[in-house]
Amino acid sequence: MNTTAINGALFVQMIRNGAAYLYEYRTVVNDLNVFPIPDGDTGDNMYMTIDAGASQFHDEAPSSLDDAAKTAARGMLFGARGNSGVILSRIFFGIAESFSGKEEATATDLSAAFQNGVKEAYGAVSVPVEGTILTVLKDASAYAAERLSPSSTLESYFNDFSAELQRSLDRTPELLAVLKEAGVVDSGGAGLLYIIEGMKNALSGIFASGSRNEPQKEAETDFSLFTEDSELLYGYCTEFLLRLQNAKTDIEHFDLDSYIAYLNSVGDSVVAFRNGSVLKVHVHTEKPGDILNNAQQYGEFLKLKIENMTLQHSGANIENRFAAPLRAKKGKKKRYGVVAVAAGEGIKSTFTSLGCDAVVDGGQSMNPSAQDLLHAFEDINAETIFVFPNNGNVILTAQQAAKLCESAEVRVIPTHTIGEGYAAISIMDTEEPDAEKLAEELAQAVANVVTGQISRAVRDTEKDGVKVVKDDFIGFSDGRILVDFPDRTAATLALAESLSAGDYDILLLICGEAVDEAETKALYDALSEKYKSTEIIMIDGGQPVFDYILVLE
Amino acid sequence: MLVLFTDTDCDVTPKIAEEYGYNLISMPYSIEGKTTYPYVDFKKFDDHAFYDVLRSGTIPNTSAVSSEVYLSYFEPVFAAGNDILYVHFSRAMSASFDAMDQAVAELKEKYPAREFYSIDTKHISIGCLYTVRLVGDLYKSGMSAREIVETATKEVDHVALYFFADDLRFFKHSGRVSGLAGIMGTLLGIRPIIYIGDDGKMVSIGKEKGRKKAIENLLSRMETLGDSVADHRILVAHTDCPDLAAEVIAEIRTRFGKDIDIELSPVNPTIGSHCGPNCIGLCFHATHR
Repeated sequence: MNTTAINGALFVQMIRNGAAYLYEYRTVVNDLNVFPIPDGDTGDNMYMTIDAGASQFHDEAPSSLDDAAKTAARGMLFGARGNSGVILSRIFFGIAESFSGKEEATATDLSAAFQNGVKEAYGAVSVPVEGTILTVLKDASAYAAERLSPSSTLESYFNDFSAELQRSLDRTPELLAVLKEAGVVDSGGAGLLYIIEGMKNALSGIFASGSRNEPQKEAETDFSLFTEDSELLYGYCTEFLLRLQNAKTDIEHFDLDSYIAYLNSVGDSVVAFRNGSVLKVHVHTEKPGDILNNAQQYGEFLKLKIENMTLQHSGANIENRFAAPLRAKKGKKKRYGVVAVAAGEGIKSTFTSLGCDAVVDGGQSMNPSAQDLLHAFEDINAETIFVFPNNGNVILTAQQAAKLCESAEVRVIPTHTIGEGYAAISIMDTEEPDAEKLAEELAQAVANVVTGQISRAVRDTEKDGVKVVKDDFIGFSDGRILVDFPDRTAATLALAESLSAGDYDILLLICGEAVDEAETKALYDALSEKYKSTEIIMIDGGQPVFDYILVLE
Repeated sequence: MLVLFTDTDCDVTPKIAEEYGYNLISMPYSIEGKTTYPYVDFKKFDDHAFYDVLRSGTIPNTSAVSSEVYLSYFEPVFAAGNDILYVHFSRAMSASFDAMDQAVAELKEKYPAREFYSIDTKHISIGCLYTVRLVGDLYKSGMSAREIVETATKEVDHVALYFFADDLRFFKHSGRVSGLAGIMGTLLGIRPIIYIGDDGKMVSIGKEKGRKKAIENLLSRMETLGDSVADHRILVAHTDCPDLAAEVIAEIRTRFGKDIDIELSPVNPTIGSHCGPNCIGLCFHATHR
């Protein structure tokens, strides 16, 4: 079969099939983990990201490629989780940008789109690292572009693309020492390989099995959730397609920016874009009627959807699940808001007690989406919000959410660990009027802290000169494995020694969900005995994956 | 004759009282409904046992003394034809002094010839003890009541007391420290630095991470605010952390002179009820508070 052009409907099928292929292989991708601990989540993160794009389309089949690509990209930008997820969302954002104004795309158009995707993806990270998803995307795009000819079809383009993608993926261990040491290829690159495979197969009508490839069905709505006495706390999710009409407005000079400003004045979570004479609008409001009447002065509706956001769907409509109360934003804004990302009830309540306005659930192997963070930002009525990702794989997502946020100035303090987050938040001076100065102080606090972690090894390996035995407890800090012991307490004591715990004023010992009180008590006593001049503070963090987190300051 | 009074909130023990001839007014605290009057209900204060009870999670309450209590202390003195000089803890921190005023007004009607002098140390704990000892010395030197009051009241503004909190639950329960709004209950090694201002009220003026930095904060305030500190009394208070207090004393001697006298004082249980265990306080002579 020789497909010469992709239209909107085919593009949606390709995205869905890409998501479905990745879903099938996501655990394979998860297992491509550099660190021998149970925290591999690249496959899950990338799947949830692309699925957030695919699930934007219910039963509608957008004919315009521009509309389809933009809608999918928007879904992915908001749904992005983890570094690979953020990069994936930016690839599709770049593709959508390139498809702007196009009803359909040829192989040449697709090649240009992927190259724009490369550019956008590299722009997403401050220091691009080669040997990752970025490299394999760049190599595959360049190779497929070189081999383009007037006789190229979409199939031939994708064949070239995926062949080079596989070869480039196999080369990643040569570019990135940590991959070679762990004996794996890059997980993000592998995730991309499955997505491209799915997209390519959609062209030939080969679809992955399972219902994930079907259009999302509307879930049954439970009307009992909004009773005679319910308050309209969340407003209405209002979406429509409006055909601008010559009789009503000057279509060519229709001022979209002013229109978006109007929507923001009567609602929030506004997304509006136009495709030719079609205006697509998404807004949360308490009075949809006002917005509809206003819209009708410019044209007529092609399609309308209004949902009461209190009625939670069991379907994939995340907007309803995470809808922010509209009225939270009324009243006086405070100067600063604080959002932290953390897993474990104890750690979450600790951050709350340190003054966080919101603690978003997440951390190792359960990264929050940009949308999750965005909703936390929107719930806080503050001028400037400081966000502490507390995990290296959440920082990009937080930066993406910061860019998407319109209700406040959001500053990401790039904390890589719970310990760094604690160090920064606990010294935060909310009386400081200058946000820039405060950000500097917080960054300084982060620089002065050392975090060590204990987790169980999931495979035999040798890393950083330490022989790791499966099921042993390994202690590591700053990406380096320092100790391996069959006994957890011994590993923790050795880690503390290796990090020179005695040189610090404070040792915060955060105990995970896997350890019991007798064990932590014995460990606390041993540490207190050994490091007499160090103040040891123990917290029941309840976090998964890391049995102990040692924070030294 | 002039009879001296002070109270147990000033960290005055019966032994110190006896040195100068002070009468000691006992300020009560209560744990689970049981009220205790220091040095009335016990002879010797076992600070370690007391603060261990607080460490186990108990937060005691304190209460003001009534005018009847003051009458019972003061009336026999007036009846015997003597005058009173009362050196007390900060008036701004307790309703006890309204009761005292009432008692004194009543007694003045009954004994119009008698004089009642008072010195508000505008402090608690060792911040008061500084002035209690000063007044005691002046009294022993034969100074008149008016002269003592004048001299001591001037000195009060130059007595600085800085301390750090270890567990904010006690201060939050007490509600007597301002400026703590931004600091939450779980401290996790964060130590608010608190001082007592010219108005005799506790104010949080910063925070430090870890005991070492908190101690350094207190010492650096002593260096910048101190006024010929080595020639005046220096007092260190602790709520059952004598090792830490010993470190502070050693450090003061390193910085201000190896032979200087420093008085170490366990904080009395009533004031300790507001502080909780593991606090360190430092009192010295300063250009201002």
